Amino acid sequence: MREKALQILLVEDNAGDARLLREMFSKEKPDSFEFTHLLRMSDAVIHLAKGGVDIVLLDMGLPDGHGLDTVRRAHGAAPGVPLIVLTGLDDEVLAAEAMKVGAQDYLIKGQIENRALPRALRHAIERHRMQTETDLIRTHQMKFKDEFLSHVSHELRSPLTAIYQFVTILLDRLAGELNLEQQEYLDIVLRNVKQLQSMINDLLEVTRVQAGKLTIELQCTSVFDAIVYTVNTLQGAATAKGITLSFDKDRDLPSVSGDPTRIRQILIILVDNAIKFTPTGGAVKVQARVFEQDPGFLRVEVSDTGCGISPEMTERIFEHLYQITDPGQSGRKGLGLGLYISKELVARQGGKIWVRSEPQKGSHFFFTVPIFSLTSWIGPMLAQEKKPGDAIALLAVEMGSRDGWLSPDVRKEMSHMARRLLQQCLRPETDVLLPTMDSASVRDLFFVVVYTQEHGAEIISKRIRTQFQRCEQLQPADLTLAVSHSFLAPISREKNESMETFVEHVAAGIQDRINIIRLQRSV
Amino acid sequence: MSQKTILIVDDDPDVRLGLHVRLKANHYDVIFAGDGMASIAEARKHMPDLIILDLGLPAGDGFSVLERLKANDSLSLIPVIVVSARDLNANMDRALKAGAKAFLQKPVDNAQLLSVIRQVLGEKNHTPAKKVHDLGDV
Repeated sequence: MREKALQILLVEDNAGDARLLREMFSKEKPDSFEFTHLLRMSDAVIHLAKGGVDIVLLDMGLPDGHGLDTVRRAHGAAPGVPLIVLTGLDDEVLAAEAMKVGAQDYLIKGQIENRALPRALRHAIERHRMQTETDLIRTHQMKFKDEFLSHVSHELRSPLTAIYQFVTILLDRLAGELNLEQQEYLDIVLRNVKQLQSMINDLLEVTRVQAGKLTIELQCTSVFDAIVYTVNTLQGAATAKGITLSFDKDRDLPSVSGDPTRIRQILIILVDNAIKFTPTGGAVKVQARVFEQDPGFLRVEVSDTGCGISPEMTERIFEHLYQITDPGQSGRKGLGLGLYISKELVARQGGKIWVRSEPQKGSHFFFTVPIFSLTSWIGPMLAQEKKPGDAIALLAVEMGSRDGWLSPDVRKEMSHMARRLLQQCLRPETDVLLPTMDSASVRDLFFVVVYTQEHGAEIISKRIRTQFQRCEQLQPADLTLAVSHSFLAPISREKNESMETFVEHVAAGIQDRINIIRLQRSV
Repeated sequence: MSQKTILIVDDDPDVRLGLHVRLKANHYDVIFAGDGMASIAEARKHMPDLIILDLGLPAGDGFSVLERLKANDSLSLIPVIVVSARDLNANMDRALKAGAKAFLQKPVDNAQLLSVIRQVLGEKNHTPAKKVHDLGDV
């Protein structure tokens, strides 16, 4: 069978260069190469989009395209087609850059040997084919692994459900009385069920991390509340092991920009580990304060008086599946995924995590979270040229469920839908929906900052009410909705006031008002 | 006061029995269906006060059951709680949009399940019959 002719697209505006290049193929079999010669980038992009090209020879200086931009455009138009750039003698640095943005190889004009070009082309195509295949196999393998892990974890939950159901049926005496020994053994089963469940959850979380599906929802969050929650949750485990678990009762911590669920998750992992690696009689402490090295962050610290970590291990413990063997305990170790998950969660919220430790002297785990700043939210809006009014209104939208929320998850989902709906009611350039304010309240509270006069604020309030009534998805929860608005004290930028100070000034005004509204609600 | 009836739709007989014992102890009448098709028939026949619905089912998965329930005038009024081993992030949104009252992840904490059932049935002041072992925070 005769081999198909190789389709070469030559994009070159210099007629002399083009002729020279074609001549290099004169010794080849006439039907093994087929040339299409175009002079302009725009034509090349259209030709590439049609398909059928095996390789592109691209000049980097065209009438309608120059330098790396030509490479990006050609590569973008046909990412699956290998590309060789043609450069002048003094452009080798640029050529190397071109390879980073999608070129397979480069050739320097005037230095190409006669027979070398066809060979270079064939090699480039072959290399490209192998690379594509390897990438494909890898993507498939990764996808298969993720799907497999996710599938297995979910399948494990079904038998675990049955075990949990019947152990608790026995423990709750729904199948008759138990003697002390039976009770004790069943408690052991239940404890292990919980451990298994926690491992399955970790496994699923890791597959989410690796598939880039970790959901993080940044809100204005209280770290203090997260610490209290964690300490309450794990106090029992600490007491059972004879460990003092305490925290700094500093309520004046600034709020952070983070996901409250994720911050609790990180703290649970760190405190749980600390308890695990601290012997009876030891102490675990949680503290938080503004980070001295970078006051834009809050630094949270979990310290213990446990076995400590040797210096060479302190880097590695955040790696995937890395475990420290606990000398004090001959028991199980878990999957070694907790710190890896924590690292990802911290990073995704814009912070860092690290540990300071000495063997036998305990460990101090630190992580940082950005402090919440209203200025970054309203700054762009205040800098707008077009202002529909010179007044700033703060809209408070309060959403609750008439019968109470069925579960925290249902509430979260409804809250998402509400935010999407609110966003649709706003003008994107002049109105800002502030991040959700995490609060212990039974109702969700959303704030919108609007550049508008009284009339405009009323129109938006009405629009929000109508949209919420219309939304079918929000109906099953029997929602209650209250929309109110108030105006900030007349604010105009002082003559000599910098934009920055002005934004801070407005932010402070909004914060005061938010604090008042939140206070009123909590009474 | 007559006892409320709950229809449990799950293809795993062990899970069905486990739920049965737990719900019976809390004074509910329980009926069962093991697949999508049977669940609609049972719902029609008994008009339960509540349906506990698994998602992975033979003969019509949980979502298609939800769809069929909601498309029927009389059945659409029966509240549905989805209880599934499937990923919460990927399925919660879809279940609520399809008309479910709540999505609970298996294994469901007993206390949470009972509290959601009571709330959906409007029995807020009802205290659990017996002490309940929960899964706690894991």
